[in-house]
Amino acid sequence: MTDQRSQAEIVRNSLKRRYRKERRFRLYGLLAISIALASLFTLFADIINKGHTGFIKTTITLDVTLDSGMMYLDDPTDEDQRSMADFMAPIIASLQEHFPTADSASDRRALGSLLGTYAASEVRDLLIDNPDLLNTTQTIELPAHDRVSVYVKHADNPRYTIKLSEQQQRWVDELVEKGVIDTSFNDVLFSRGDSREPANAGVLGAIVGSLLTMLVTLIISFPVGIAAAVYLEEFAPQNKITDFIEVNINNLAAVPSIIFGLLGLAVFIGLFGMPRSVPVVGGLVLALMTLPTIIISSRAAIKSVPPSIREAAEGVGASKMQVVLHHVIPLAMPGMLTGSIIGMAQALGETAPLLLIGMVAFIVDIPDGFFSSATVLPVQIYLWASSSEQGFVELASAGIMVLLTFMMSMNALAIWLRKRLERRW
Amino acid sequence: MNTMNSGISAEAENQDEPRAASVAEHKPEDTVIEEGKTVGKPFSDDPKFKLRNVEVFYDQARAIKNISLDIGRNEVIAFIGPSGCGKSTFLRCLNRMNDSIDICRVKGSLALDDHDIYDPKRDVVELRARVGMVFQKPNPFPKSIYDNVAYGPRIHGLANRKSELDDIVENSLRKAGLWEEAKDRLDATATGMSGGQQQRLCIARAIAVSPEVILMDEPCSALDPIATARVEELIAEMSESYTIVIVTHSMQQAARVSHRTAYFHLGHLVEVNETNKVFTSPQHELTESYITGRFG
Amino acid sequence: MPDKKDDVYGDHISHKFNDELMALKSEFLEMGGLVESQVDRAINALVDNDGHLADEVRATDKKVDQMEIELDEEATLILARRQPTARDLRLVVAVIKMVSDLERVGDEAKKIAKFAIKLSEEGQAPRGYVEVRHIGNHVLGMLHDALDAFARLDSEQALRIMKEDKRVDEEYQAATRTLLTFMMEDTRNISRCMSVMWILRALERVGDHACNIAENVIFMVKGEDVRHTPVEEAEKVVGR
Repeated sequence: MTDQRSQAEIVRNSLKRRYRKERRFRLYGLLAISIALASLFTLFADIINKGHTGFIKTTITLDVTLDSGMMYLDDPTDEDQRSMADFMAPIIASLQEHFPTADSASDRRALGSLLGTYAASEVRDLLIDNPDLLNTTQTIELPAHDRVSVYVKHADNPRYTIKLSEQQQRWVDELVEKGVIDTSFNDVLFSRGDSREPANAGVLGAIVGSLLTMLVTLIISFPVGIAAAVYLEEFAPQNKITDFIEVNINNLAAVPSIIFGLLGLAVFIGLFGMPRSVPVVGGLVLALMTLPTIIISSRAAIKSVPPSIREAAEGVGASKMQVVLHHVIPLAMPGMLTGSIIGMAQALGETAPLLLIGMVAFIVDIPDGFFSSATVLPVQIYLWASSSEQGFVELASAGIMVLLTFMMSMNALAIWLRKRLERRW
Repeated sequence: MNTMNSGISAEAENQDEPRAASVAEHKPEDTVIEEGKTVGKPFSDDPKFKLRNVEVFYDQARAIKNISLDIGRNEVIAFIGPSGCGKSTFLRCLNRMNDSIDICRVKGSLALDDHDIYDPKRDVVELRARVGMVFQKPNPFPKSIYDNVAYGPRIHGLANRKSELDDIVENSLRKAGLWEEAKDRLDATATGMSGGQQQRLCIARAIAVSPEVILMDEPCSALDPIATARVEELIAEMSESYTIVIVTHSMQQAARVSHRTAYFHLGHLVEVNETNKVFTSPQHELTESYITGRFG
Repeated sequence: MPDKKDDVYGDHISHKFNDELMALKSEFLEMGGLVESQVDRAINALVDNDGHLADEVRATDKKVDQMEIELDEEATLILARRQPTARDLRLVVAVIKMVSDLERVGDEAKKIAKFAIKLSEEGQAPRGYVEVRHIGNHVLGMLHDALDAFARLDSEQALRIMKEDKRVDEEYQAATRTLLTFMMEDTRNISRCMSVMWILRALERVGDHACNIAENVIFMVKGEDVRHTPVEEAEKVVGR
């Protein structure tokens, strides 16, 4: 009896120790998760902090009198005349109305430099589209210069250097007060391609480029990957060759992505003579890179189909083909799709191989096909981030946010698909 | 030497009880089995399956050792034996389910209605349509009840019209004793049913392609006693129109459902006889030791 | 109780099952021994004109009945719990049947004791006691041998008992003829001679029951039912 009691006591004492240990263990876990969450949060906060202004543009709205004499332009449809015309003059004149005292040549220049480089071409484009507007007064929204934009958005931020003169700053302050200079949602970001001018640069070109590239990647890697996985899992004989292929696929998944870029450069561009910096080549290279991931995850998905289902199908007389087509592939589909989407998300974020095949070029136009020059989101971000102009820094952050949104929605799609298609047995 | 001596002395002492002496002298596990020699009645007058000198190899290992057996028409024959005795392997030879195992080779002559099962020209799909199979774990497809039963007829093209297929499904479910429970939820997924219902669905699925033979590999080992009783009842009903081969670990089950019982031991077919005979007075010492719970 | 290791019922994986079968067997033998002594004492009571002993025999029969009930219950429990097969099943089934044989033998002993009391009250021993002694010894031997055959699972000895039964029948017939003659000689003896006839009849029944036990032993050992078959048939079965 006493023996039992003392034993119970020992157990009770050890229990305390055990509980302490468990609590400590749980604490470590919590700590690890909070560190991870904190760094993630910091990263997001930093990106959003830097990038949210990228979604805001600064505009100068002016009543411009499109005086033909001032512009040396009689007929806006005439190409020769247009090339000689001075579209800047009416804009500066309109600005001068706000500051009658500034009429020296240097003041005019200083006023003019408040506007973005593309202000003149905005006026020109307007006139080309509507020649009737000549000699009328129009209210036109014009992009402000990057320096003005930085001053308006970040006057108090020591990280940004204000490159406006004292006088220009006074002018801008006054114009802001009058409501001439205003900030609004940056629709340019989603409607334009790249540009030398931050105020005029957008990610649409890169998004389209990315989508085209991904489409090529998907069309090639998904069927090929699944076919390869099905063959290896279901039909391939168990021998040295199969083992060899298996080992190599696993190794391929670990090959640095830049090697695939080199391969693409050598094979697609060098050997097959495909054009540089086009989505087809980019897609092909990324497809090669994604294939191992898709094959490995698809094989895992096929392996997870219970053998009892195969046996059941074989038992009622289904042929090997029917077993695979009717049962194995449908049941493995959620896993295959998840693997593919995650592989695609990886490819979407890939820069290195694309740099090598020339998708890093400065491309203003929005790509209109698989064979037109294009760039992709991560490369665009890379380009902007390495640019010296202050306006591009916030654009790069904005681009990262766009890219992250894409990736998260792809991952969400993967999760949704898995939940949706998953069956229990 | 010692054991030999004691053996002789025991015999000398108990000359009029050789049986008692012999059993007490050595363990049943040590009994040497003469290869290919089966006690009892392995042959039948009207065989559905005629199996002669069957051997199965896994790589070099011989899993089935020279077995000859007839399986009669509309007979329920039970295969019993300790784990790893080869009864499942042997069962799977009957509809070539072993084909998918690369290292597995089958030797000997196996004939279904006098046609060689392992004829390379023979289509295994046709064979499996004639020899259906029910597995240990209920394994319905993760589809609707209807689709489960209709799958076989569909892939074999047994029904031309939807109404024909409906008839097949209904008939199969009726025969499997599942119609009353399932008729109102044919579109529900099969995996939502109870284990016993799932197993009867698997039987219905096997019946749907109207096979002549049904192989059952421990069909009740995952079921509760009530579900087991249902399946056993079903086997009794089906025995009128099908030849049934059942592998079971439950000797009581073999005793209840089968006409003949075959006892397998380490790849040998030790004894085949009428079930009544096997369970009251088996002829082979090993059979006796196994069914009375002395080893296994 | 027989040694576990040497007994064919002692090598199951379940030790509890071993113990149950072993207990069934040893209790059956115990009952057999009791019944044997009942018959022996009943005959002694008769021959020695010992009414006291006869009373004892009648009292002890209650114990025999009690043992029958206990053995039946044990056998039923084994059937329910273990679902025995083959040799084990045959043992249990045979014990159930042999127990009722033993109980009947017990009843016959009681009957003999009853007549022994009656005869001792009526005084003077009639003729026929020699025959009673002779047949009594014969069937007692048979009963003993049958129990021995059961204990050792000896089918050949059981076969010998089956053959023996014929001789008991012959002896019984001879004895009854003798008594019949005696009764015809002197009608006053009829009542007492009838008692002796009944006793002889009881002893003959004991022989039959011993024979039944022997048949069951053959069933246990060989798995063939040799009841209601000619002895030659049984001989073939045992010879296998």
